Amino acid sequence: MANTKVAIIAANGSLFDAYKVFNVATAAAASDAEVGIFFTFEGLNLIHKEGHKSLPLPEGKEHFQEGFEKTNVPSIEELVGIAQEMNIKLIACQMTMDVMSLEKGDFVEGIEVGGAASFIDYAKDANMSLTF
Amino acid sequence: MEAVKTLDATGLACPMPIVKIKKAIQELSSGDVLEIHATDQGAKSDLAAWAKSGGHELLKDTEEDGVLKFWIQKG
Repeated sequence: MANTKVAIIAANGSLFDAYKVFNVATAAAASDAEVGIFFTFEGLNLIHKEGHKSLPLPEGKEHFQEGFEKTNVPSIEELVGIAQEMNIKLIACQMTMDVMSLEKGDFVEGIEVGGAASFIDYAKDANMSLTF
Repeated sequence: MEAVKTLDATGLACPMPIVKIKKAIQELSSGDVLEIHATDQGAKSDLAAWAKSGGHELLKDTEEDGVLKFWIQKG
């Protein structure tokens, strides 16, 4: 998987969405792929400094809370830490940040801020492009 | 088939076994064997896929009392 490039768009902000994004991203990075994630709209919750620690379960799915505890799934905070450690590129969408009055300091350490064109440039030679 | 190192990944859910194995194997030399214990049933297919994609060899896997054991030789 070395020389494999994975480009991910994270556009949703529930706990389920966070697991989908970070599980695939960290598994890819652990398989030696280069990974970049573009966080846009509700997806920004996944890297918000405080928000990512208490993401909501989707409406009507609150009963899955128990299942998460029982299966010993890592916390999103832990997965974000792993993503940073593995040098996964985290790109926050500038336009959404402007709309939501968010600044770079509102997010976890080490993110980049970019527009759609930055992501397209990153993704143009990706072997896999995923959207969550 | 003497393992140089044993990694206890029991109780961990996806993707943590793979993340831990990746870290553990980085510290080994080519040809060294890493023994892994896991309880995540998904590890069976995940470890085989991970080893293949990374150029490592899954030498053997067993299951005893609900614990999955794997021996991976670093490529």
